[in-house]
Amino acid sequence: MVENIIHAIDTVATQSPDKIAYVYEGQAYTYAQLKQGSDRLANFFSQVLPAKAPIVVYGGQTFEMVQVFLGLSKSGHAYIPIDTHSPNERITQVQEVAQSPAVIAVEPLPIEVPDVQVVDQSLLTEAINGGNDNYDPALQVSGDDNYYIIFTSGTTGKPKGVQISHRNLLSYVNWNVDDFGLEEGVVAMSQPPYSFDLSVMDLYPTLVLGGTLMAIPKQITDNFKLLFETLPELGLNEWVSTPSFAEIALLDPNFDQEHYPKLTHFLFCGEELTNKTATALIDRFPNAAVYNTYGPTEATVAVTGMQITADVVAQYPRLPIGYAKPDTEVYVVNEENQRVAPDTEGELMIVGPSVSKGYLNNPDKTASAFFDADGKAGYRTGDLVTMAADGLVFYRGRTDFQVKLHGYRIELEDIDHNLASVSHVKQATTVPRYDKDHKVTQLIAYVVPAGGDFASDMDRTKAIKAELGQMIMEYMVPQRIVYRDALPLTANGKVDRKALIAEVNPNA
Amino acid sequence: MNHEDIKNGVIDILVDLTGSDDVRDNLDINLFDTGLLDSMGTVQLLLELQSQFGIDVPVSEFERDEWATPNKIIAKVESM
Repeated sequence: MVENIIHAIDTVATQSPDKIAYVYEGQAYTYAQLKQGSDRLANFFSQVLPAKAPIVVYGGQTFEMVQVFLGLSKSGHAYIPIDTHSPNERITQVQEVAQSPAVIAVEPLPIEVPDVQVVDQSLLTEAINGGNDNYDPALQVSGDDNYYIIFTSGTTGKPKGVQISHRNLLSYVNWNVDDFGLEEGVVAMSQPPYSFDLSVMDLYPTLVLGGTLMAIPKQITDNFKLLFETLPELGLNEWVSTPSFAEIALLDPNFDQEHYPKLTHFLFCGEELTNKTATALIDRFPNAAVYNTYGPTEATVAVTGMQITADVVAQYPRLPIGYAKPDTEVYVVNEENQRVAPDTEGELMIVGPSVSKGYLNNPDKTASAFFDADGKAGYRTGDLVTMAADGLVFYRGRTDFQVKLHGYRIELEDIDHNLASVSHVKQATTVPRYDKDHKVTQLIAYVVPAGGDFASDMDRTKAIKAELGQMIMEYMVPQRIVYRDALPLTANGKVDRKALIAEVNPNA
Repeated sequence: MNHEDIKNGVIDILVDLTGSDDVRDNLDINLFDTGLLDSMGTVQLLLELQSQFGIDVPVSEFERDEWATPNKIIAKVESM
């Protein structure tokens, strides 16, 4: 049981300074470097940044990013990670909500951000190489202070910043470390970008266990030949990813226990783990345990989970998402907010110490999604589930128009709002296309065009996609645009998204 | 299978995967740089090529640059 994440990581550094904490592009970094760098950065940050302010951090999957995260945590600042593969507009949108006084540019910023102090790489390097080591570990931090703030898609076209406190993160990390059978010194894959909270699943549990993070950045995952040359060389014990990424790996016939003899743990979150994928992994990795977990960013990465064994795949064609972690209560309510009987479909509610205090600078959205349950924090997930009498939970769908594409959480209304502000678009509604496992494979936008001089719909689509790509994340840009003179309406006069979903998925 | 059949077959797959007619319009368009294909899209492409042309591309042999445009993919399929 860890009592303080930062202290636990520093303890590893004090006891085993030469242990490898992080490997990036063949370069290994020790716990001593992690501690010294983050201590010096903490001193530097507490001098130059306003106390307790949330700070935007821009960068990719590098050791320096992790040093900055820990440095900010030590100086009592929350970090807001933005990945280098984000559209430029993302920085502006996040900054509009966060009002961060400073941006830490671990990688050079692609745009100018007005009215903020930019801490660039040369300042960071100077602090890390020559700063003051005498960092006071009792500095300012309390359990309720924010540890990180991760932005997710919001229905009004503005992203929402989920505030995760030190206490929230501690609750998650302890569950992960205690219940998944991970051992000290675990070698874990670090593949999801840091702006995606799935990365928290590998980052902090691995570091408190004195393990090694093997960074696998996008330039490797994008090139399959390089990816499958790299992966077997890493000596991984633990695989953390979305199920989609494991599905790619399963296409390599050498992805098996023989070529990955040390791989003993698969941890999944972020989207549905299908029976087919789990079965294939259990088959190919007889020595590994496969864990399925579920949770919204608002409750810190994951709140339910279980090991998916051969018995479980045999028993459940659609896999369960597990049981609530020990310090957390989950229950199911109907539309009148009344608890339902076991095995009845309803909305999942989460109450416990890993539930966030709410969205940064957004009291309205916070009030509609979060609640107080006798002094404990509660969150209304918007996820439809059923729960068996013994507490086993099954995911069934969404109460609203949120979808998961390759593990990324997307509010369709968010795309619609942004599309509507693109030139020559009068109205837009986005719908998902599903495969036979009911997994989203594509987003299709129905657009009512407004003027514009285009030679063809193809040119129009190109222009719309280019403009939209400046505003929202690449994975949110619909693959296909269909033009209509008008969109179908419901009896209430709203756009009938369900009719369009049925049109796109005639066999669903 | 002649060149035209392969070409049309590959283009149909790409149009369906990318949801864009750009790939029909410009056979030298870079599918990855333009964001038309991502990792999961690539996986689907390889699976489609396997089911429609019976060609087996080991994913571990997949070098992105060699498959970056419709023309390059057509040439690959013809060579296999």
